[in-house]
Amino acid sequence: MKKFWALFFFFWPTVAIISCLIAPSRGWWFPGAPMSRTGIQIDGLFYLILIIVTITFVATQYVLAYALWMGATKDPGSKAFFSHGSHKLEIVWTIVPSFILVFISLSQLDVLAEIRVISKFPEKATKVAEVTARQFEWRIRYPKPGSELTTEENPGDLYYVNELHVPTGKPVIINLRTQDVQHAFFSPQLRVKQDAVPGLVIPVWFDVLEVGTYDLVCAELCGWGHYKMKARIVAQSQGSVDKYLKELEAEQNEDGTKSEAAKTDDE
Amino acid sequence: MSMTPSLKPLALAGLLSVVAATVGCSDTAFESSFVYSEGTLSLMREAQAGTKENPGVKTLLDDRFGDPQHLKAWEKLPIDFGGTMTSVETVVESGDGKKLVILTVQEGMALPEKAVSVQFVSGACSGETVQVAKWNPKTGEATLAAVPGKEIAAGDTCAIDRGAGLSSGRMLYMRHCSHCHGTTGDGNGPTARYMTPKPRDYRNGIFKFTSTNDMSKASRSDLSRIVKYGIPGTYMPSFLLMKDDEHHAIIEYVRFLSMRGEYERKLVAELSSDYSQNAYDSRLKSGEKKAEIQKELDEFLAEDLKESAGTLGDDLAEIWSAADTDEAVIVPSVPRVPDTPESRRHGRELYLSKTLNCADCHGIDAAGNGPQTIAFEKNPAKSDELYNEPGLHDIWDNLNQPRNLQMGMYRGGRRPIDLFSRIHAGIKGSRMPSFKNTPHEDIWHIVNYVLSIPFETDPGATGIAPIAAESVAAPAAVTAPAPE
Amino acid sequence: MATVSPALDAHGHADDHAHGHHEQSFIAKYVFSMDHKIIGIQFLITTLIMLLVGGALALAVRWQLAFPWENMPVVGQLFGLFRSEGGQISPEFYTMLFTMHATVMIFLVIIPILAGAYGNFLIPLQIGTDDMAFPALNMLSYWFMWPAIVCFGCSFFVAGGTAGPGNGWTSYPLLSDLPQAAPGSGAPQTFWLLGLTLVGVSSMMGSVNYLTTIINMRAPGMTLFRMPLTIWSMFITAILQAFALPVLTAAGSMLLFDRLNSILPTDIHSVFFIPANIIVNNAAPTVGGGQPLLWQHLFWFYSHPAVYIMLLPAMGMVSDMLSCMCRKPVFGYKPMVYSMAAIAGLGFIVWGHHMFTSGMNPALGMTFMTSTMMIALPSAIKVFNWIGTIWGGDLRFNGVMLNCSGFVAMFIVGGLSGIFMAAVPVDIYFHDTYFIVAHFHYVLFGSTLFGVFAAIQFWFPKMFGREMNDTVQKWHFALSFIGFNCTFFPMHLLGMAGMPRRYADPYLHGYLEHLLPMNRFITLFAILMGVAQLLLLGNFFYSMFRGKKVGRNPWNANGLEWTAPSPPGHGNFDIAPVVYRGPYEYSSPDAEAIGQDYILQTVPHVKGVAKFTHH
Repeated sequence: MKKFWALFFFFWPTVAIISCLIAPSRGWWFPGAPMSRTGIQIDGLFYLILIIVTITFVATQYVLAYALWMGATKDPGSKAFFSHGSHKLEIVWTIVPSFILVFISLSQLDVLAEIRVISKFPEKATKVAEVTARQFEWRIRYPKPGSELTTEENPGDLYYVNELHVPTGKPVIINLRTQDVQHAFFSPQLRVKQDAVPGLVIPVWFDVLEVGTYDLVCAELCGWGHYKMKARIVAQSQGSVDKYLKELEAEQNEDGTKSEAAKTDDE
Repeated sequence: MSMTPSLKPLALAGLLSVVAATVGCSDTAFESSFVYSEGTLSLMREAQAGTKENPGVKTLLDDRFGDPQHLKAWEKLPIDFGGTMTSVETVVESGDGKKLVILTVQEGMALPEKAVSVQFVSGACSGETVQVAKWNPKTGEATLAAVPGKEIAAGDTCAIDRGAGLSSGRMLYMRHCSHCHGTTGDGNGPTARYMTPKPRDYRNGIFKFTSTNDMSKASRSDLSRIVKYGIPGTYMPSFLLMKDDEHHAIIEYVRFLSMRGEYERKLVAELSSDYSQNAYDSRLKSGEKKAEIQKELDEFLAEDLKESAGTLGDDLAEIWSAADTDEAVIVPSVPRVPDTPESRRHGRELYLSKTLNCADCHGIDAAGNGPQTIAFEKNPAKSDELYNEPGLHDIWDNLNQPRNLQMGMYRGGRRPIDLFSRIHAGIKGSRMPSFKNTPHEDIWHIVNYVLSIPFETDPGATGIAPIAAESVAAPAAVTAPAPE
Repeated sequence: MATVSPALDAHGHADDHAHGHHEQSFIAKYVFSMDHKIIGIQFLITTLIMLLVGGALALAVRWQLAFPWENMPVVGQLFGLFRSEGGQISPEFYTMLFTMHATVMIFLVIIPILAGAYGNFLIPLQIGTDDMAFPALNMLSYWFMWPAIVCFGCSFFVAGGTAGPGNGWTSYPLLSDLPQAAPGSGAPQTFWLLGLTLVGVSSMMGSVNYLTTIINMRAPGMTLFRMPLTIWSMFITAILQAFALPVLTAAGSMLLFDRLNSILPTDIHSVFFIPANIIVNNAAPTVGGGQPLLWQHLFWFYSHPAVYIMLLPAMGMVSDMLSCMCRKPVFGYKPMVYSMAAIAGLGFIVWGHHMFTSGMNPALGMTFMTSTMMIALPSAIKVFNWIGTIWGGDLRFNGVMLNCSGFVAMFIVGGLSGIFMAAVPVDIYFHDTYFIVAHFHYVLFGSTLFGVFAAIQFWFPKMFGREMNDTVQKWHFALSFIGFNCTFFPMHLLGMAGMPRRYADPYLHGYLEHLLPMNRFITLFAILMGVAQLLLLGNFFYSMFRGKKVGRNPWNANGLEWTAPSPPGHGNFDIAPVVYRGPYEYSSPDAEAIGQDYILQTVPHVKGVAKFTHH
């Protein structure tokens, strides 16, 4: 029976490792490759930590299980090994983890600064839209085509809901705000997340690598509809974004009388 | 979307029971129940449930609309119940008690990929629902369970999975909508009590933000707009990312609930003056005999109510179908007047004018604080009794104050045509009246003014500065007043 | 620093009681008792019942995630709540479920069971004194729990049943601040805050008591470095509570003042956390001037040390139990003490790691990242030392040992998953996803609660004079362990897939649809795990009355508590303990000299055997 318990502690870490190995093929892993530049760095840091953590996990769990196995297969009657500890070992297993932890800390500082510190945002990043979260949707405001985005609404600004169009291949900034309570702008495929805080306007930048449609969801409890804030980020070429904005402008100025012919004339 | 020609015979044929097609969910998914309206529940017991021979309100309602697990597709109503109309081409005995039939569809239509059941509309098996054991969508071969004592013949018309669309609409509604709008569409789901404004109660058949004129119902595209873009400033969110077929199914179910609610309301209206519980009690008190009243009610149910039950259905069908026609849509007779300071000034004059009197509700500086917002108004539905709290109300008896136009938040949409429709048709169900007799040019001036209000530096300081030279499509920036 | 306890008379009572010992009424003896043992047992039983409540709430959450919007068993039809929806819960009800699950588990189960139950029971016994420094305060600390439970209970009902407090146990403004912001933000939130304050008062009373008792009332010879690690952990935990709780109480009061206009018939209220011009639910725009982020700082300043409050006592107890079950001293006693102190100290400067995406200054983010990385170190050292304790031991494979081994194994998982979140860029992805849920359940449930399971069995004989059935405990361990890991390990994968927390219906989103089968798997095992707890409770209550009777020291352990009768009477010790050695002298030469593999702390130095010095 004792051996059973020792093997029990060998078995479950093995199951854990196997489940992680099969996870990516079953979709229990990142939702696709990272689709933004900072996303690539985030994933890289994740995998680095994963390697370190896996080695530590394997070592500690199997040593623990082995210690139990030793206890299970001990000669009955032989006594325990009497020791109060080992100074040497304590020093070793203090210094080695410290180095590893310092290494991890230092590896991420640059990435962190680039993502979060405004003065380190890419120089060419342009403000493309203001995203205002509210209970329970995402309201988008684009500046009037040809104008700069300001924190105030201006006549000619274009409005939409739950769908944000951004150009690919260049860093863009959105101004994140909220009309009511806290929300969070989370795009899993782009690996972007930022809380929207009442009273603050927070710039969030990202650089989408490929044309595509990406999910946008809320990641801070905002009430009963927290799960309902389903939106999408549509990344297109700059030309397509401009075309979209022109169509949006025309739609926003719809007066119910324009014929099909007249519509095409305006563009 | 008007009824396809092949459905017309069904409308005459009467009712078909909808199979509660669960489409992969368990049988107990979304088991819910409809709630009868207060009006129904305030009638005499016999008026509600009917007598031995004659149906009452509840019976009529259940007969024609069913309960959520067993919805009924009343073919009269302009609702897309889903399913495919077919007819039987040939019948073959397959020997084990089952029938092999070959079904064909009209030109231009396709056989569905899946078939769960078949409902017969004409022939000996008319009214029967038969389960499909095997289905081949390419050839149209269906193996059906036999109907005891009845023969299936070539030429019989039938529907495949009639009502599957409505059923899936109900599932989607339960998942996305019911907790606010209620399982019956009464705007009284569990979450509703915490919201301002309250979710819509569909049972009046009235929707506030439409593109149709003031006498028409909301069209499908109006409902579609609302589901797609939400109502900003309220808890009705945008379901932009919903798939098209789901979107369509939900809208049909909402229309179904709306029509059911209206039908119930109208039946109750027929009965409430003489046969409500209160009326009954007072009649008893004034000396009438119980048996006499019962007899009178019985006759009423047998003749008048039964007749109304049919005509009310026809009325509903007519008015709801009309909403989807081009005639119902508000089309301004002139394009939008160029958005110049002159137009906006003119708009402001109209706003303040005695004839239109917008300021009475919306306030002199359009902040939604006109005198009406603090006066006690009379409730027309309750013999002009005054409301408890000051301000304006809607027909659902909720406090519904006029919009603060300085916010730039337009619940029904911010396009010029949306604002035009709000003014032209009013906001149905609210105290915003219809100004359909106002010249369309004037309405455009008001629209231009309203759209400029959020950008005014001072209230009323409308576009006194010059505007940039732009096309008429783009509203111009408003800058500070030029020094005199 | 040893103090001398007052001389005990023949009955084992101090002189002051020599005036004659009157018979206490049932109420005084068992209900409003001032005896730390009774109070400890009161806490234990109350928290075990609350464990069931918290667990039931969790199962309701899991049901919704496995069968979204389907009729929820029991709850859906209870009190006719969702009658016309056929038992389908509403979204605000779901927010209440996870909020109250967390609240009950944290404030009514884990903290009271560690500090209130085991702290109370063990501290006087393990340091060799007759009771706590302030017995009346001790009694009050228990009885303040009940008004808190009543407040939390009321919060379920005051808004009409379908909406209780639904703003998360973290209760961030503005959701929790403005009564109109969420269905549960009105009266339920107020009751919740009151309950929280009362629980805080109870905790603070306890911590003052423990600190005073441990510092002042140790038996002669019980130097600080002869104290069992359980006492060290309780001591350090009490420091954490004393310094961190006032901040939570202050924050809670600030929030209550912000909401004053919904509590009292007045328009006046503060705006600590409310910025200007916010319109929520079409109420009047807020007056403002406050900062929502302030709440987060204040809240997490307490709540991070709180998680160590919820961990350290279990760590201390597990060290004691492992040492006893392996018949070996704790490997590295002093490093263990220093690690606990480091964890506690560092625990005060890591709170910002809950706020990496909150919009706070990124420079702050960097400092918190550094301190969070540092705090991984003492935890790692402790894990190595536990493994070192087991290594080469003469192991007894009973329920206690298995639960302690489970503690270590699962603490490894919980600790390692924390490293991902310490790295800020990675946390940007994982924050508010199920990865975090997995992490904290591994440390709070997988570690602490399994440590508690071990402690329940280990100190049961001392509490009740009987032993629990070991076979049932082993079954309980196996089922709980399997259930726990199958429930929470997959949540790491759910978090990787980007499944956010607190979502009533994640499958609305296309990229999460394929996770339904895994969520069903998790729910299935969660139910198994829940049912397995009945084994523990059954064993506990049955053995209380019908368990096999045992003597003073059924485990052959070294601590002072095992010199007292089982259960100890009033005054605890019939012979006043004097301490001559540390608590972990299993299999030492001294023990061998008397023919045992253990030697009680009260046994004087054995002649002829070389004195073993501590390093």
